[in-house]
Amino acid sequence: MDATILLLLLQDGVVNGAIYALIALSLVLVFTVTRVILIPQGEFVAYGALTLASLEAGTLPGTVPLLLGLGGLAFLADCAEGRHSLDGRGLLRLALRDLALPGIVAASAWILAPMKPGLLIEILVTLAIVTPMGGFLHAVAFRPLAHASVLVLLIASVGVHLALTGLGLVFFGAEGSRTPPLSEASFPAGPLLISGQSLWMIGLTLAIIVGLWLFFSRTLLGKALIATAVNRLGARLMGIAPALAGRLSFSVAAFIGALSGVLIAPLTTVYYDTGFLIGLKGFVAAIIGGLASYPAAAAAAILVGIIESVASFEASAFKEVIVFMAIIPVLLWRSLRSAPVEDEE
Amino acid sequence: MRRIVWALALAGTVLAGPVLAQPIKIGVTIAKTGPAASLGIPQANTVTLLPTEIGGQKVEWIVLDDATDTTKGVANARKLASDDHVDAIVGSSVTPVSLALIEVAAEAKVPLISLAASSKIVAPMDDKRRWVFKAPQNDGLMAEAIAAHMAKAGVKSVGFIGFNDAYGDGWLAEITPRLEAKGIKLAATERYARTDTSVTGQVLKVMAARPDAVLIAGSGTPAALPQKTLKERGYAGKYYQTHGVANADFLRVGGKDLEGTVLPAGPLLVAEQLPEANPVRKVALDYTKAYEAKFGAGSLATFGGHAYDAQVLLANAIPVALKTAKPGTPEFRSALRDAIEGLKDVVYTNGVVNMTPTDHVGQDDRARVMVTIENGKWKLLPATN
Amino acid sequence: MPTRLAPTPLLTGLFTLLVVALPVLPGVPPFWLTLMTYAGLSAIVVTGLVVLTGVAGITSFGQAMFVGISAYATALLTTQGGLSPWLSLPVALVLSAVAAWAIGAITLRLSGHYLPLGTIAWNISFFYVLGNTDALGRYDGLTGLPPISLFGHPVLGGGEAMLLTWGFLALSLWLTHRLLRSRTGRAIRALKGGVVAAESFGVDTARVKIVAFVYAAMLAALSGWLYAHIQRAINPTPFGINAGIEYLLMAVIGGAGSIGGGVFGAVLVTVLKDQLQNVLPLVFGAQGNFEAIVFGVLLVLMLQRAPDGLWPLIVRRSVAAPPERGPAREPLAPRPAAAPGTVLLEAANLKKTFGGLVAVNDIGFAVRAGEVVALIGPNGAGKSTTFNLVTGVARLTSGAVRLGGREVTGLPARRIARLGCARTFQHVKLVAGMSVIENVALGAHLRGSAGPFRGALGLDAAEEAALFAEAESQLARVGLTACRDLPAGSLALGQQRIVEIARALCLGPQLLLLDEPAAGLRHQEKQSLSDLLRRLRQEGLGILLVEHDMDFVMGLADRLVVMNFGAKLCEGAPATVRRDPAVVEAYLGSAA
Repeated sequence: MDATILLLLLQDGVVNGAIYALIALSLVLVFTVTRVILIPQGEFVAYGALTLASLEAGTLPGTVPLLLGLGGLAFLADCAEGRHSLDGRGLLRLALRDLALPGIVAASAWILAPMKPGLLIEILVTLAIVTPMGGFLHAVAFRPLAHASVLVLLIASVGVHLALTGLGLVFFGAEGSRTPPLSEASFPAGPLLISGQSLWMIGLTLAIIVGLWLFFSRTLLGKALIATAVNRLGARLMGIAPALAGRLSFSVAAFIGALSGVLIAPLTTVYYDTGFLIGLKGFVAAIIGGLASYPAAAAAAILVGIIESVASFEASAFKEVIVFMAIIPVLLWRSLRSAPVEDEE
Repeated sequence: MRRIVWALALAGTVLAGPVLAQPIKIGVTIAKTGPAASLGIPQANTVTLLPTEIGGQKVEWIVLDDATDTTKGVANARKLASDDHVDAIVGSSVTPVSLALIEVAAEAKVPLISLAASSKIVAPMDDKRRWVFKAPQNDGLMAEAIAAHMAKAGVKSVGFIGFNDAYGDGWLAEITPRLEAKGIKLAATERYARTDTSVTGQVLKVMAARPDAVLIAGSGTPAALPQKTLKERGYAGKYYQTHGVANADFLRVGGKDLEGTVLPAGPLLVAEQLPEANPVRKVALDYTKAYEAKFGAGSLATFGGHAYDAQVLLANAIPVALKTAKPGTPEFRSALRDAIEGLKDVVYTNGVVNMTPTDHVGQDDRARVMVTIENGKWKLLPATN
Repeated sequence: MPTRLAPTPLLTGLFTLLVVALPVLPGVPPFWLTLMTYAGLSAIVVTGLVVLTGVAGITSFGQAMFVGISAYATALLTTQGGLSPWLSLPVALVLSAVAAWAIGAITLRLSGHYLPLGTIAWNISFFYVLGNTDALGRYDGLTGLPPISLFGHPVLGGGEAMLLTWGFLALSLWLTHRLLRSRTGRAIRALKGGVVAAESFGVDTARVKIVAFVYAAMLAALSGWLYAHIQRAINPTPFGINAGIEYLLMAVIGGAGSIGGGVFGAVLVTVLKDQLQNVLPLVFGAQGNFEAIVFGVLLVLMLQRAPDGLWPLIVRRSVAAPPERGPAREPLAPRPAAAPGTVLLEAANLKKTFGGLVAVNDIGFAVRAGEVVALIGPNGAGKSTTFNLVTGVARLTSGAVRLGGREVTGLPARRIARLGCARTFQHVKLVAGMSVIENVALGAHLRGSAGPFRGALGLDAAEEAALFAEAESQLARVGLTACRDLPAGSLALGQQRIVEIARALCLGPQLLLLDEPAAGLRHQEKQSLSDLLRRLRQEGLGILLVEHDMDFVMGLADRLVVMNFGAKLCEGAPATVRRDPAVVEAYLGSAA
């Protein structure tokens, strides 16, 4: 391996790592607020990429009826949840959020899709389709489980993942898709050729990290989310409903997922089941970050990306073995650093 | 006394009834979901086109999804054999599951027609594999063609990038000795997973070995990624793909980066370009028309053709077997097995079949053509050998 | 949620009857037998997961790997080595156990979420190693395995395979049931009540975790061996991460807290997946692939209805099964008490800092046999930290602790327990789902010696009877015999504190450390606690207690050690301390 190849591999690793980082950030966000390890995060990525590809091809993506269906279910779930306190205005608010909003999105997708309105509009429509799914999924699947153990939440998460992957197969078929890049430009840098697309990707990842950091440290809503994560009862006393915080975190996760999908779709082929393995690697990064720290998770994600890239050069058949065995020492190190057996309150 | 006669008669009808009315049942277990769904879905689609009457007998097709999972596939096959009492089983879509089905077929003594590639499914012939037949071409037949094409094109060294699964394994095992025989060096062997988002590492490694040509062994759209990455890195050698890519989605995803790629394929892929004299042409075109009429223009995948071919084999063998036994009986299954083994000059969408007791694929050179990609379309290359 | 270890005998009986009858009943579709075979194979693995995840609280996604290790081992041994499957079984089991021990030694050091991720990492790697190893047939796997033969008759499939599988499942259930009730089993179950509590009764929790891990792996291996010879062809897919996730899913959906839940989950998921394949085409037409979708949705719905799994809803029994009573036995021989006045505990210059914060500064005191010493002080004075320093739960920054004249500074809690020092906790640490008597018996952990093998095979009856007799007598002593078979979690908090004292007494201690024993007790209960402690003092025990309740302390303690802001304010008899101006200042000052 010479220096040029090493540089190329590093570049490849960083670009892949950026996607893992985006997933890891969403996982950390959702976990800190709801204790759910969001395995379906990968599906948001696939949905984002494949929805964009459908729009690009001028067809109405299957995610649109799904959005309407989920909205309807969320409406029912919200009504059931608030049945004791719901008045006319409350009902109207729920109907707006759960029925009218997806309705508008679906209508615009239906009108715009055959017109092929150009990449930018298509991306916006894609984000508008996938983002609300997060909140709806929270209302339908996870809010009723708010008091369950992390393990039960995890298995419920597996259930949602199975259902979403199955739906992905129905909507998009077994074969993959790609989309045109956001930017055709490329810049020579020494031996490297840096594509505009990969710059977009890294830039947006950084922007999201900074955005999350600002959101959590500077805004009231962000602080409220953190507060919910730290102490649910306390947050409730302060007037922050954990359910609302959960819903918000899921929507943000779905947004980041869809955006990641939009970003990788031009770089690689995305399949209905692409989400699982990249989601798992994002999960690895999130865990190394202790499911708590954004910078640590992002750094771990880049590390995973680089290890993967180098491993696929050195021993491609054993790439996953190398990636996953490499994390064991890291996990040990993190375990030893975290407090030993002291479960005293 | 009369009551006893009645009872006996009634018992007789009850016992004999189902046998008389029994249609021929064919069980199908394929990968409608899971990693090989891109193979299983066109196969499942094809089953809906198949005739429901063969040789004057009703035929019932029972399709089960094995999700590309061995355990599920074996469970399906047992269910088909023990509960549905099928007369034959078709499936599964991939080699590892098909290998596991051999045990069930031999145990239940049901003829099995596999839709997977590897020759291991039918060779070496033994007591168990007596019951097993295979519709798709052996990887070996295809590998042979690629090696020959490479030799003719003056290729001296080859880089291999294949799926990190049974498909990639099968190709690597078949191509290695054939390249050796032609004096071509296998300069690099790299593997990748179907859903990998990047193959930069593998591509750099292959390019570092500077081969004259690269062979990519993947199926469907995932086979496009290494080629696109190679192009992006400026690899200027020859590109070869395998018959696993033969569907329209591959062309759609690969786009202009696929121009000039050479691959072996079943004649079904380029049916309308076959010479009129080729007997395969008509069968293949009929199937193509029927499929695309139902599932949309350009939706054809050769994987579906294998399911159709399995039916062709059965349709030719069933009338023979019907002469000696009734459907739903062990005798019929055994007769059906013998009949399939005795098939001669049967034309199906992927060639012409002559089965023998030792060859349960029964294909010859007519089961493959060399194809290139030109202007985003498959183009038949003239036969050179 | 209370841990239900086994279904009722009636349910077990009915179910056994059904399983045995299934293959011989006329009209049963033969595929049901195949299906139940697969359900049984999964149930064996899931039973191991119940021990590992449901009971010990170690979440593992990696059980499919151990199924695979065994399946590949037996495949190689029987096809290439020509061994009979019956001979390859022990090899496969031992191999998996060794692998589990080695992997567990590394992985079980992982804490929190790192551990489940570790098991995912192992299992994914395992899959790719199988797929890329020539000797293991790569992705095509190994074929042509011989069937298991029973009395010279090959078990090929159908009813025979099912009975064989369920026979092994019954054996696994029996072993697991025995194991969980044994001394080792109580230690495994204690992991959920908190590692600190278990350690302070001498349980080596790291070792217990390994035992649970190895046991679960061996059950997985048993399943793998059966699978390989019933399937007779293996390849990497059934041993991948998806299978690992599915085993865990079965355990959780059925109810990971109980053996019955595990079996139920395995049967339910297997049958459900099959039935979906039959039913859905009737609803949606033959073309769709809706099984996974509907399965995922049903899974979420079931969890919403029953977050503890479905089994507890079916069994509807809130009381943990009382342990079987062995032959009536004498309690364990009491340990000799130290001569009155012997110094039992000597703490000198204890110091503990957290970062820059000094929590405990230069504390020293002694406890002698036959006296009650109380550690008092306002909130945040460092009493509990001092307590933890003495018992080895927290590490000393500097200073020394001597027990019975022996330097124990830096020793882990379980070693300190061996020296006859027992304790209770400020925040009660009982295993909520375990019966009161079993919780108390846990205190006698160090006074027994039976390991997992003796426990699982039921060779520990005599020792168990003695341990339980001891626990009974201690429970009688604290006056809670009536609560014997109730789940500990169902008791009032005050009673739970008393149970902790009974558990501590089971250790046969010379020194008893009580952290706020009177908190949450009613007046009458305080009275009897006070009486009990007096009796214990009379018997020669040394008692150190941390307490807020001044009336309680003043009437009982021989000496008081008063702490404030981490430092010792004064020490002396209650009457002296009461008059000390510094104490008055500290209390009035902080109380005002």
